[in-house]
Amino acid sequence: MSPTSAPSSRRTGNRVVRNPLARFLVRRIVTALLLAVGITLVTFVLTNLVPGDPVSANLGQRALGDPAIVAQWRADHGLDRPLPQQYLMHLEGLLHGDLGTSQQSHRPVLDDLADSVPATLELAGAAILVSLVLGVGFGVIAALRRDRLSDHVLRVLSLVGISVPTFWLALVAFYVFFFRLQITPGSGRIDPGMTPPPQVTGLYTVDALLSGRWDVFSSAVGHLAAPALVLALYTIGLLTRFTRSAVLEVLGQDYVRAARAKGLPGRVVLFRYVLRPALVPVITVAGLAFGSLLSGTVLVEAVFAWPGVGQYAYKSATTLDLPAVMGVGLVVGVVYLVINLVVDVLYGVIDPRVRVS
Amino acid sequence: MTTRSWQVRAGLLPVVLTGALALAACSGGGSSSSTPSGAAGKTLVIDTSFDLKTADPGRTYEPTGLIVDKATYDTLLTFEGSDVTKPVPSLAESYELSSDGKELTLKLRQGAKFADGSPVTADDVVFSLTRVRDMKGTPSFLLDGVEIAKTDDTTITLTSKTPNPALPYILPNPALGILNSKAAKEHGATNDPNDKAEQYLNSASAGSGPYTIESFNVSSQVVLKANAQYWGAKKPYYDKVVIRNVESATQKLNVQRGDSQVALNLSGDQVTGISGGLQVKRTASAYVFFLLANQDSGVSKVTSNPKFVEAVRKGIDYPGLLELAGEGSTQASGIIPSMFLGALPADQAAKRDVEGAKAALKESGVTDPTVKLEYPSELTVNGLSFQPLAERIQANLKEVGITVELTPAPVTTALDNYRNGKEELGLWYWGPDFPDPSNYLSFAPGKLVGLRAGWKAGADKDVEAAADKAGAAVTDDDRKQAYTDFQQKLNATGPFTPLIQPGQNIVTAASVTGVEYHPVWTINVADLGAK
Repeated sequence: MSPTSAPSSRRTGNRVVRNPLARFLVRRIVTALLLAVGITLVTFVLTNLVPGDPVSANLGQRALGDPAIVAQWRADHGLDRPLPQQYLMHLEGLLHGDLGTSQQSHRPVLDDLADSVPATLELAGAAILVSLVLGVGFGVIAALRRDRLSDHVLRVLSLVGISVPTFWLALVAFYVFFFRLQITPGSGRIDPGMTPPPQVTGLYTVDALLSGRWDVFSSAVGHLAAPALVLALYTIGLLTRFTRSAVLEVLGQDYVRAARAKGLPGRVVLFRYVLRPALVPVITVAGLAFGSLLSGTVLVEAVFAWPGVGQYAYKSATTLDLPAVMGVGLVVGVVYLVINLVVDVLYGVIDPRVRVS
Repeated sequence: MTTRSWQVRAGLLPVVLTGALALAACSGGGSSSSTPSGAAGKTLVIDTSFDLKTADPGRTYEPTGLIVDKATYDTLLTFEGSDVTKPVPSLAESYELSSDGKELTLKLRQGAKFADGSPVTADDVVFSLTRVRDMKGTPSFLLDGVEIAKTDDTTITLTSKTPNPALPYILPNPALGILNSKAAKEHGATNDPNDKAEQYLNSASAGSGPYTIESFNVSSQVVLKANAQYWGAKKPYYDKVVIRNVESATQKLNVQRGDSQVALNLSGDQVTGISGGLQVKRTASAYVFFLLANQDSGVSKVTSNPKFVEAVRKGIDYPGLLELAGEGSTQASGIIPSMFLGALPADQAAKRDVEGAKAALKESGVTDPTVKLEYPSELTVNGLSFQPLAERIQANLKEVGITVELTPAPVTTALDNYRNGKEELGLWYWGPDFPDPSNYLSFAPGKLVGLRAGWKAGADKDVEAAADKAGAAVTDDDRKQAYTDFQQKLNATGPFTPLIQPGQNIVTAASVTGVEYHPVWTINVADLGAK
């Protein structure tokens, strides 16, 4: 170690401690890690509280009648050990990046998730992108054109978006657009028989672009459109309503009137003085909405035969596939935590008052 | 720029995005419908609800896995079409069962090749069958107690300690597909529970079947491609077969629209009036729904009363249950499905007799009985849910004077009580492990399902004697007679009330040929072609 290195690292450390954003991030990451451990515990306890035996769900009727096979299966899956020991074994595996082996697919849960999580992220990501653009856009229009026809229409539409159950909408959308109008493609992520692009990110649209497979890209975008729009409808409705009320509140502020009176262009007033403060509550809602998107994927994925984590979670839960349920719980929990972290950071980016506090 | 003009431009953005998404959807839509079954690179798309775990024959026992393995592996014997009453040669060109039913001798066909071009040998057969038996995977029970030996390069003998006339009916099971032992061993295959070949067998085909595995995903789809080395006379028609995981409501729309050519899981209701020039193959499935009345008086003093069981059997409106089950379903005359050897003829099926049921209930001495009926709440069999059947049974028995409390539970919970013999009344189904009546000896007293109904060994000597006689019979005629007798006695005094066999409806595009429902592998992909 050089004589100057210790003070230098201390200086670096001090910089981190003094930098409020860095301090904030470190604190949030540590909290997030603790929460992740909490998630594993809650998932484990809840899964084990379900009245039912994983053996019944996983072995055939004949195998169930053979105590030797049942005992062997329990031993193979560590279910013959006390619950606290099972949980500690799970945590130990986690530290080594091992989420266990799925009792259903016989594959490492990590491999299963590597297949299904990108599919859901692609779907939910597209849905949130559409939601943000349409929801915020519609909300701004509704606020700026308050009490006019377009405002009323958008408010009714947003109410419909919030009220209609996602699974019903998915079935209707599939029936109308795929079956009746024949303008959307059928089930799955790409056309049947088409070879998926080489996996880089697991997002077919991105991987197709990276490998220059334009036919696959076109197919992937086509297959993505309908489920993403169905999934987004609720969030669009939610964001439209929140954006409208937030923008209306800001529009009534004195500084906005002053900016207009000063003769600033409408674009500047809208972006600099109205949208920026109005977006703070909208971002909170968008973060929460992403959570509801993830839960909504279970039903949408079933209707559109989308091989994502929603379908995987459902199958794992109904078969009491403990390692898979724990894996899904952890991944979804971590996604929530990351989204919350991003939302918190965005508060600071958008609103200087948050940075100061 | 004025505020108003900017508002107009900002308002256009969401509209433009919506339009772009709609265009994207349309562009995708156009490409999908032309892909399947087009002349270039003939592709067949089969939609089914996956219960897939593995493609390893030694480990698979789920319907979807059996479809895949039937297409990718050959077995020693097979069945022709949907006829399960007579095993026919496949990799074995002939077979002979000894007169005592203990030794099965098979003559191996010459000229059969694996997908890599290497010949199928007697050593491959011995390795493959021993692996299934000793690896202790789900299908290992099929060969329990069977010794497998190579007599010479073309002869294999399978020897059982007790008469095993069911063996020729068991061997066609795709779980007993013959592996390329050299390739499998190179990838970790062994003849014990330490076998490590599953991952390899999920990604490649080590079989001699008409198709090979191109890609395999347990939750989304399996893609098969034609085996260029296929040795059989009938070459695979399709270049590629895509088997997709799709829930039944979507399956119907897909096949109607032409996005898929085969839908395997449509319920009777869904196929009623299905349009679009499609073919519907309506067959009774080999699943038998039944009621069990627990015979253990410790569990229920009511259901263990033989006259109560008689009242239940006479009180049920069977045609009413068939209405619920929809097209293709049929009443179960006995516990053995209608297409198996030894099945009872339709005219021996139970009939509703409300007055007879009331009389039996009066004779039982039980007044105004209330019993709990347990069943899996979310399970469906070929699209048929247990809930409406349970509700109908409840209404039927109410007319007789029996109050039924419905106690549905998730299948993982309900199975516990069923397996432990704790249900008072239970509504369940039995799917055959193999298409032979000996599989149904499990319903005898002291056997697997008998015990689940609290029917212990020694509880009914007549039925037990009939079961023993059926198990020992060797010739087809003797077996048919013995199993008929076993079921008649079971129906008369047993705790089970056979109800229905739900329909198996296979819907295909008008152009698809060769569709036959099979009780073991549902559909043989290799038999499918096009007009």
